[in-house]
Amino acid sequence: MPYNETVANLGLEEYKYHFITKDKPLFKAQKGLSEEVVRQISAHKEEPEWMLNFRLKALRIFQSKPMPTWGGDLSKLDLDDIYYYIRPQDRMKRSWDEVPESIKETFERLGIPEAERKILAGVGAQYESEMVYHSLKKEWEEQGVIFESIEDGLRKYPDLFREYFATVVPPHDNKFAALNSAVWSGGSFVYIPKGVKVDVPLQAYFRVNAEQMGQFERTLIIADEGSQAHYIEGCTAPVYTTDSFHSGVIEIIVKPGARFRYTTIQNWPHNMYNLVTQRALVHEGGHMEWLDGNLGSKLTMKYPSCYLVGEGAHGEILSIAYAGSGQHQDTGGKVVHVAPHTTSRIISKSISRGTGRASYRGLCKVYEGARNAKSNVQCDALLLHDTSRTDTFPYIEIEESTANVGHEASVSKIGEEQLFYLMSRGLSEEEATAMVVRGFIEPVARELPLEYAVELNRLIELEMEGSVG
Amino acid sequence: MADARMTTAAEGVTAAFNREAAERLAAGEPQWLRERRLAAWEVYEQTPLPTTQVEEWRYTDVAMLKLDEVRLEEESGDAPSGPAAELLATGSEAAGRALQVGARLVEVECAEELRAKGVVIADLATAAREHPELVEPYLGTRAVPADLGKFAALNGALWTGGVLVYVPRGVHVEQPIRVGRWLGRAGVAVLPRTLLVADEGSRVALVETFASPDFDAPALSCGVVEVYARSGASVQYVGLQRWGLGVRHISTQRTIAERDANLDTLVVNLGASVARVDLAARLEGPGARSDMLGLYFANGEQHFDHNTRQDHVVPHAHSDLLYKGALYDRAHTVFRGLIKVHPKAQRTDAYQQNRNLLLSPEARAESLPNLEIEADDVRCSHGATVGHLDEEEMFYLMSRGLPRRAAERLVIFGFFGEVLERLPLPGVVEELRAAIEARLR
Repeated sequence: MPYNETVANLGLEEYKYHFITKDKPLFKAQKGLSEEVVRQISAHKEEPEWMLNFRLKALRIFQSKPMPTWGGDLSKLDLDDIYYYIRPQDRMKRSWDEVPESIKETFERLGIPEAERKILAGVGAQYESEMVYHSLKKEWEEQGVIFESIEDGLRKYPDLFREYFATVVPPHDNKFAALNSAVWSGGSFVYIPKGVKVDVPLQAYFRVNAEQMGQFERTLIIADEGSQAHYIEGCTAPVYTTDSFHSGVIEIIVKPGARFRYTTIQNWPHNMYNLVTQRALVHEGGHMEWLDGNLGSKLTMKYPSCYLVGEGAHGEILSIAYAGSGQHQDTGGKVVHVAPHTTSRIISKSISRGTGRASYRGLCKVYEGARNAKSNVQCDALLLHDTSRTDTFPYIEIEESTANVGHEASVSKIGEEQLFYLMSRGLSEEEATAMVVRGFIEPVARELPLEYAVELNRLIELEMEGSVG
Repeated sequence: MADARMTTAAEGVTAAFNREAAERLAAGEPQWLRERRLAAWEVYEQTPLPTTQVEEWRYTDVAMLKLDEVRLEEESGDAPSGPAAELLATGSEAAGRALQVGARLVEVECAEELRAKGVVIADLATAAREHPELVEPYLGTRAVPADLGKFAALNGALWTGGVLVYVPRGVHVEQPIRVGRWLGRAGVAVLPRTLLVADEGSRVALVETFASPDFDAPALSCGVVEVYARSGASVQYVGLQRWGLGVRHISTQRTIAERDANLDTLVVNLGASVARVDLAARLEGPGARSDMLGLYFANGEQHFDHNTRQDHVVPHAHSDLLYKGALYDRAHTVFRGLIKVHPKAQRTDAYQQNRNLLLSPEARAESLPNLEIEADDVRCSHGATVGHLDEEEMFYLMSRGLPRRAAERLVIFGFFGEVLERLPLPGVVEELRAAIEARLR
């Protein structure tokens, strides 16, 4: 049964009401967006006055901005037909039996343990990983690291939170940033103190156990001077959700001399619109890396960006996009050089299969005064079928004569000779194709922690099945 | 709402550009041509002026074109004179010539032996009457129809001094054909139009030069170039834009290459205050090849905007674009290029390179090389760079005793050399070198 149909057959509407009990009434905002809904969200979170005002202001900005006309096709996205807030308990109270077979099978074939599967499907009790999370948390806490849900961040560290919140992605940045600012819920709040180096990746995967990630997640990360950390969001296995629209905002502040890496492997179901704003502000000598993998969703529009505002700051964006039939991955990156001696690099690898479409959209901007800025962009696209499509839309805007900026892109079909060679060694066409694809994404995949790289490869193999013939 | 539409409908309708002018020009023309002019006028009137909200006009504000400050030139104006006119006199070896002064074509000639072979070099309006079979199928039809855009429509309605070049099947024109466009006074708008049709298996090169003195007030040239290379034809089109300051240059150019045709273009922008060139190459037959070359040198407050397109609609075609620019002072240049490989255009080879040299702190360059690929068996790549002079090269040259400015000139010359080398017209390349050298001084 096709996935969409499977989800439709679940009868989720009915199901939600089924779980309303007398002693624990669940809150569910009405469909569509209004000031009333925003007030309800804020009240439920018991937020301070300033946050409510912020949300209301953002709502007005959202309502005044037109839908973007570039990028992917948003004409089928009905923003009035969405629940803007559902209490976490509501999300989690599903049973394992309700999870579609296709997802269960994927878990199985990825070799993900039973306990994790249930977490990914949002139905598990999640005791094991909670324990892992709590033990890691203890270690981090000793070093002064804060790793909380965004709501707890606001509650426990109001001053720190308010100082940085919405400074990197203000609500008026774009329509969906405004929407997120009005209705955000869920996400992480991270603070790495001066000079602290966290060597185990901070994995949102563990943290979200307690409070499920919302469809309007908001993450705020501050890496203080000289600190180092790696944050991993999501996971390679399909995240089972009934939402069809996801619009997150991720803000990162990289203070002088800090190094921060943010990794996302997005594998939403194929009926999802995924419109995310991810941006980092990188100060003097700071080093920011976005590692962005997009495999799932119907349409993703996501361009992680680095604003290099301090002298010698470095920004890096490594991106893999896989567009299967019916999918459009409109991804890329932005690097904005504001300060002298800033450097940046973007590497993008995309694969289009069947009727899939992968688009690279990028910006390299060098402002006057960003002396000796250097930027290098490389995009490679691999096409697997004659119905596949790829686009490259780079914007290069240079106001500084001492800048050195280069962009290169290539598009190719999977090599007949490579396939022939591998098949002559006894591999089937399917295996050979998967191997060529693995080799193609290797420059980015090798930057992932081992277990993620392994899962990513396996997942691509799964996606590739049936791609031949 | 209705009011808003009415104001848009009238956008760009000025004392110079209005229906009466189109009707005046159409009077006395063959019925089909009169209809095309008036239909083009309808399109112009109904098309809003592009704003910077429109992606292709993001970096160029039409206000810079000063459409309201010019009147329609209907006379010839002052004859070519002064140093700028020298450019029109170059090329002693020519298979034929046409010279437009203001709105009038004042000179049209074609070598006798070519005329005998059926080559036509003619005033477009005259040719429309005398050789409608050579004009009607091509003028404003497949290459630059009026509905292509606001300025294509404006030219379609109001062109004057047009030139037709037709080369019959199998005829080889060995020497280039020269078309000169001269503007002698400011405050006016001219709308030149060039139609080049190279029939099956023919060969021809056309060099079009735009020149004027520097002006204190704005002037406008809104031109159209249509080039057809029929099966197996080999065509080179070179446009040398060396207007004086004050001139606003808009040019819409389309080339169509049929099966096994070879169609090369070179766009050189050296003059004008504002230049906007839209050039699209359409590869319509398998085996077609198109080399698209461009050079630009801008200084002072000059603003150049290039918008190119490589349209692959059939399999087995090849296109290769190389645009290079050097910028001084507060010059601002834009390169936006698109390779579009349509579904079924398998075995396409398409390349695109844009290289910019920023020579002054306040110069500014934008580069947007785009790819849209809807077939899988293709080889496509593109690249763009924005950089500055290599200080080591400069140091080397200066250590040999060259002053800095001369050393810079030499490096820029070398930088442009890669483009000029690819043009298979040695005599024309020498002239272009001289024009660029004069410009760099």
